[in-house]
Amino acid sequence: MSGQPLLRVRDAHRDYPRSGEPVHAVRGVSLDVTQGEYVAIVGPSGCGKSTLLNLLGAIDRPTTGSVTIGGTAVSALPDKAATRFRLTNIGFVFQRFYLLPVLTAQENVELPMAEAKVSQTERRERARELLGYVGLAARADHRPAELSGGEQQRVAIARALANRPIVLLADEPTGELDARTGADVIALFDRLNRDGMTIVVVTHDEKLAGAARRVIHMLDGRVIRDEPLLRRA
Amino acid sequence: MRFQLAALSLRRHASRTLLAVLGVAVSAAMLLDMVMLATGMRQSFASLLGRNGFTIRVSPRGTLPFDTEATIGQARDATAAIGRIAGVTAVAPVLGTTIHVLGGREPVSAFALGVDPAVQGDYQLLEGQDPAANGLVASDALLRAIGARIGDTLDVAVGFDPQLRTYTGRRRVVVSGRARFTYLSATDRAAALELASVQAMAGASRSDRVSLFMVRTAPNVDPEAARVAIERALPRVTALSTAGAVAEAEHRLSYFRQLAFILGAVSLIVGFLLVTTIVTVSVNERIGEIAIMRAIGVSRSHVVHQIVIEGIGLSLTGAAAGLILGVFTARWLNSILRGFPGLPDAIDFFLFQPNSAFRALGLLVVSGIAAGIYPAWRAASLPISATLREEAVG
Amino acid sequence: MIAAALTPKPVRAQGIDSVPPWRGLVRSIAIDERLATDAGLHLGDLVVLASEPGRSGGDTVRVSAIVRRRADPSEVARSEYRIRMHLGQLQELIGYGDRVDRYAIATTGGVAADSALRHINALAFGFHAYPSREIAVETSKTFVVVSRFHRAIGIITIVASATFLLCIMLLKVDERRRDVAAMRLMGISRATVVRTVMLESSFVALLGSLFGVGLGFAVSAFVNAHYQAVYRTPLRFAIVTPGTVTYSVLLSLVLGVGAGALAARRLSRTPPLTLFGR
Repeated sequence: MSGQPLLRVRDAHRDYPRSGEPVHAVRGVSLDVTQGEYVAIVGPSGCGKSTLLNLLGAIDRPTTGSVTIGGTAVSALPDKAATRFRLTNIGFVFQRFYLLPVLTAQENVELPMAEAKVSQTERRERARELLGYVGLAARADHRPAELSGGEQQRVAIARALANRPIVLLADEPTGELDARTGADVIALFDRLNRDGMTIVVVTHDEKLAGAARRVIHMLDGRVIRDEPLLRRA
Repeated sequence: MRFQLAALSLRRHASRTLLAVLGVAVSAAMLLDMVMLATGMRQSFASLLGRNGFTIRVSPRGTLPFDTEATIGQARDATAAIGRIAGVTAVAPVLGTTIHVLGGREPVSAFALGVDPAVQGDYQLLEGQDPAANGLVASDALLRAIGARIGDTLDVAVGFDPQLRTYTGRRRVVVSGRARFTYLSATDRAAALELASVQAMAGASRSDRVSLFMVRTAPNVDPEAARVAIERALPRVTALSTAGAVAEAEHRLSYFRQLAFILGAVSLIVGFLLVTTIVTVSVNERIGEIAIMRAIGVSRSHVVHQIVIEGIGLSLTGAAAGLILGVFTARWLNSILRGFPGLPDAIDFFLFQPNSAFRALGLLVVSGIAAGIYPAWRAASLPISATLREEAVG
Repeated sequence: MIAAALTPKPVRAQGIDSVPPWRGLVRSIAIDERLATDAGLHLGDLVVLASEPGRSGGDTVRVSAIVRRRADPSEVARSEYRIRMHLGQLQELIGYGDRVDRYAIATTGGVAADSALRHINALAFGFHAYPSREIAVETSKTFVVVSRFHRAIGIITIVASATFLLCIMLLKVDERRRDVAAMRLMGISRATVVRTVMLESSFVALLGSLFGVGLGFAVSAFVNAHYQAVYRTPLRFAIVTPGTVTYSVLLSLVLGVGAGALAARRLSRTPPLTLFGR
């Protein structure tokens, strides 16, 4: 690891109220992720890795502790500012793709840019460029229902990159894909990281975790091991 | 993009959207019809009474015009007394009775009005001339019933005694004109003669008596002031202004107005519930999508706007369809109510008034907006991470 | 006169004197409840009757009965007051001589009525007798129109509520898409899925219509109370009959089952994974 941390988590706790005992999803996690890192967070189901990812992405707030992204203390941001921050600084990829079924691939990619008030000409051009980057230029006018799972996930990745985020967060991005299309997504993440994108993925997929440069192991809401992997050729 | 997303969301379940639009359209049509019913009667009755500038009706005390057989005595003096009141520009005396046209196998009965042709406001001549001393103008229905034409001479009588087959008065008159009687229906057999002729035929009981006076006031005069002055000058009469007559008619027909209000309110509620239900279900189905939109940085206001636009879209389309449907159903309902026996031709129960119609439909659209607000607010307030977790499990 | 043919229900009454000789005595009249209320008249009060407003003289009479009008639709919009008095006294008061407007004749009904009718029309010069039902048809024309209007409004209301019901039932069934998917994945047959969904929608429709019937009873009670007060009549304006209950329950059941069948067929034909949104 080198350089200033892009993501900084300090003693973050996240408790969920539940009748009876509250659930402690994240318990005192502290970690730094620097610019250009490719980090995989792994662990058994319910260990708190998705909750940690949500804290990193300013979707959720820690009950105590802090999360800073690119120098901004996102855990202290009010909802409106946090929304704006997510729009312009963070790219999200989800297990279930969650593309809007009524929009074409191109329009799905354009959506975050439209929200960020990017001009129509510019967003069309960039959406085309991004779909080209993920290898789907020819499928730009198709709706999600007409695309395979792997293609939908690649559109979701293009959408996540729309507003040039400083970090890409992915929650089980290969969870719904078969081995071959999963491998395509892994390769795409690898290429993105080589092109300078900071990536944090939460996964059960050993292949995806193996493609990362650093793996954080979690258990019962705590980081139990944080190990850099050897950089491959 | 919000409009595009809203439109696409509605198109996503086309049959459901169509059904909702149909439901809103029927509700809108009903609402429109009820507004037309509530305002139509009043407007059309007021316009009927206000024809020819007569703003006040004077009838025997405690009665409404032609409500009973009561009459006002010393009519000549009363005419002069009313004429002297400031602001009064014309006084039209009217005596109503039943007239019998003799000569056929059976006498033909008709409603006859004794009027002063120079100031009368009861009929409009369609052809011919006003009645002179021995003249008569008749409605088409009467002319058809007796097979007469303008220029024909008729044997007419008043005050029929069925047992003795006698009349109090009888004379020969010439049909001088064909007329439409303002306050009667097209099927009513009616005739108008000079007041003096009717009084003479009716005998002593109607000598110098009239059923009512119609009073015209100057445009710059408050009819209410003239009405009060008339009642003060003639204690044995009741003077009713057009506004008072409309209020009285409204009271008598309040059932229709209240029915209109209740059904209109029910229509509005049904439209509101329909839009709320459709938008809520649509939002529930897309809760995952909405959470993702929020996660990738789409603002709350965007989510709220998009969902509210869906509600507006449903209610606007429904209201537009309802406008057309409403006009047609109003015609149908009006044709039913116009079957009331003796209803003047000029009375319409359903009257399309653009202002009222658009206000009613506007209200429906506003309720559509309100209907979208709750589901929109709910969707925009979703805790993103919890929703994503639940959706992932679901 | 006309009033003499009516049989109003006495509310409070003492005997009305009807045995001559009455000259020199204060005669009695019956007044309707509205007049008693509006004019503040009570039993035993003395009032002066005149044939015209303000006419001098007139008869001083005693209020000896207060009557309520019958529940007659033709009376609803009429706001004038009514009094009932002895025929001879009225004839004298208005200078009508020994005349009447009409007679109401009671018969044992059926053939006797027809025979009496024929007899009167054949014998009595200057009279024409009509059977009561003919007069009823003539005087009820207004109510035929109102009834036709109500039927038309009813049709529109039924179309609106049927659309609403259909919409709601479709949505309700559509909400069950995940359950249907789970059932299909478990290997439950399409027919069973359709039957289950239809049964559920029928149950919802039945419950809804029963609630609607209850609401209908409550609304009709309110409508009756309101309009009886407005028009001061014992007439019932809204009646929930077994026929209307059966009709509305059946209609909502048919719509519920129809919508359920429609949506269930569509759901059962969609692949389970698609229903799950995969």
